Amino acid sequence: MSGKIKIMERKGKDLYERLYLIEVFKGMAVTFGHFLSNLLDNSKLYVRHYPEVKPEITARWRGRHRLTKHEDGTMKCVACFMCQTNCPAKCIMIEAGERVDGRTEKMPVRFDIDLLECIYCGYCVEACPMDAIRMDTGIFSVTGDERKSFVLKITDLLETPGAFTEEEYKKGGA
Amino acid sequence: MSQLDILLIVLRVAFGAFVPLCFIAVLVWMERRGAAYFQDRSGPNRANIFGFRAGGLVQNLADAVKLITKEDVVPGHITHKFYFVIAPVIVFLIALVSFAAIPFADVLILDGKEYIMQAIPTDLGILWFLAVAGFAVYGIILAGWSSHNKYGVLGGLRAAAQVISYEIPMGLAVISALIVYGTVNLTEMVQFQGQLLFGFIPMWGVVLQPLGAIIFIVAAFAETNRTPFDLAEGESELVAGFHVEYSSMKFGMFFMGEYVAMFTSSAIIVSLYFGGFQIPWLATDALVNNTRLVSFLLMLLLPVLALLFGAWMSKNNRSHYPRENDPRVREANVYAKIMWGLVIALELLLVIFLISGSGGMAARILTAGLQIVTFLVKVTFMCFVYVWVRWTLPRFRYDQLQKLGWQTLLPLSLLNIFVTSAIVVALS
Repeated sequence: MSGKIKIMERKGKDLYERLYLIEVFKGMAVTFGHFLSNLLDNSKLYVRHYPEVKPEITARWRGRHRLTKHEDGTMKCVACFMCQTNCPAKCIMIEAGERVDGRTEKMPVRFDIDLLECIYCGYCVEACPMDAIRMDTGIFSVTGDERKSFVLKITDLLETPGAFTEEEYKKGGA
Repeated sequence: MSQLDILLIVLRVAFGAFVPLCFIAVLVWMERRGAAYFQDRSGPNRANIFGFRAGGLVQNLADAVKLITKEDVVPGHITHKFYFVIAPVIVFLIALVSFAAIPFADVLILDGKEYIMQAIPTDLGILWFLAVAGFAVYGIILAGWSSHNKYGVLGGLRAAAQVISYEIPMGLAVISALIVYGTVNLTEMVQFQGQLLFGFIPMWGVVLQPLGAIIFIVAAFAETNRTPFDLAEGESELVAGFHVEYSSMKFGMFFMGEYVAMFTSSAIIVSLYFGGFQIPWLATDALVNNTRLVSFLLMLLLPVLALLFGAWMSKNNRSHYPRENDPRVREANVYAKIMWGLVIALELLLVIFLISGSGGMAARILTAGLQIVTFLVKVTFMCFVYVWVRWTLPRFRYDQLQKLGWQTLLPLSLLNIFVTSAIVVALS
């Protein structure tokens, strides 16, 4: 059984194309069209005016982390160390302590995420059995003046709210 | 030497030295904004001084400050530091000096004395350009070699090979132009182009020498190391080619040198093939004799142009997202006021010119001014063609480049010489 053989036509061999200049002028006409229409009306540019106009972030986007809470305001994290163990970048540092709000036995007294180490892979979110850590804050740009400011403390992580509703987040496949 | 002589010498040298330098800023701006518009982007348009962005020109200042204040690294492995430092200077200086022999206005006759409007009033003309422009590649070769870096050396070698193969067609194209013009003096060449062919077509070089013009323009692109012939700095294979090891203002010199070279070769293309300072259908004598009419037409034309520009500016100089008290609209209003102020000043000047008798010196100075403006407009457009081609065509492969140079351009330019000389002999 022989397969179908299709011989592709080679472009650029005839005299018209080998003259090259005509094709050059054609190409230049195309680019000049773009130039002219943009020059006459620069609202046609495919540009997002970034700092003022923010891009749309979808619910599946892995942004900066946050720690979630129960309805009564107590934190969901039980300091099981799943995320820290699972982290390929080793950027999570948890110290467990005794739980004071009576929900379970353990809670973290220290939960640091070094954003300079983090590779935003989302494994911590997948590993978490309590749905306590999420990356749904919608924050995609983290800036700072010094390295220390990139190490997030437990308070920073708890303070940040999620950017999406619960339904949207679940629809995202979490 | 009278005071007028000294003044004119100073003016001419200042023009030859500072206009290319000023055009660096304009050309860098044109390249970046032009490239952006060709690609449907917006380009650098945020840098400002008190909210005035001048259409992105302020970005050049920021770039210059950045380049000047950057650390100037001379890598430790470089043994010939002198050559390393001198190379960018050569590139820049040669580009600047080769502009010196290009006329930017017709011979100015004041008080019965003739002043040739070139930075260096020499008869060498095109020979000066060919002799000096060939040196620019020495800077590139020296930079590549003294960098002691394989990418640098490869870049320098490519530049050398390219210049050797493209100087020949360039020189031959110039020869056929010389056969037509019968002189090497650029001022006389441009005067020749002020004539009319069959009484209605401007006798520009591109009309008389279409093939020569194409060959010369292609070779000039190769000489200035611009795309599609910028193999010497082909970043996809040679990182940055001859200037890999350069940083700070030494790189800045290469960068500026490239734009001055672009300006100079645009000027020479315009002088040789696009009528130089000649306004089509208005040769120098016609201008001098009809200054009243010309200045009256100018008075009509100026407000119309200003209106069009103002409309374009108010349409485009605004933010394209909801913004309270849009500062860009305010900016555009200030520009419009400045523009109308300039227009009124020019109109007043022209009125004074019309009232106070337009004979003699005033007429000649007005003519020279108009010719300078024409020349600069033509050169700017030619520079735009450089930018335009750069953002349209991909780079040639090295063998394609040599094949084009030796197998296509060289025979074509020889053929052009034969045909041209046959026609010239037959007609004379």
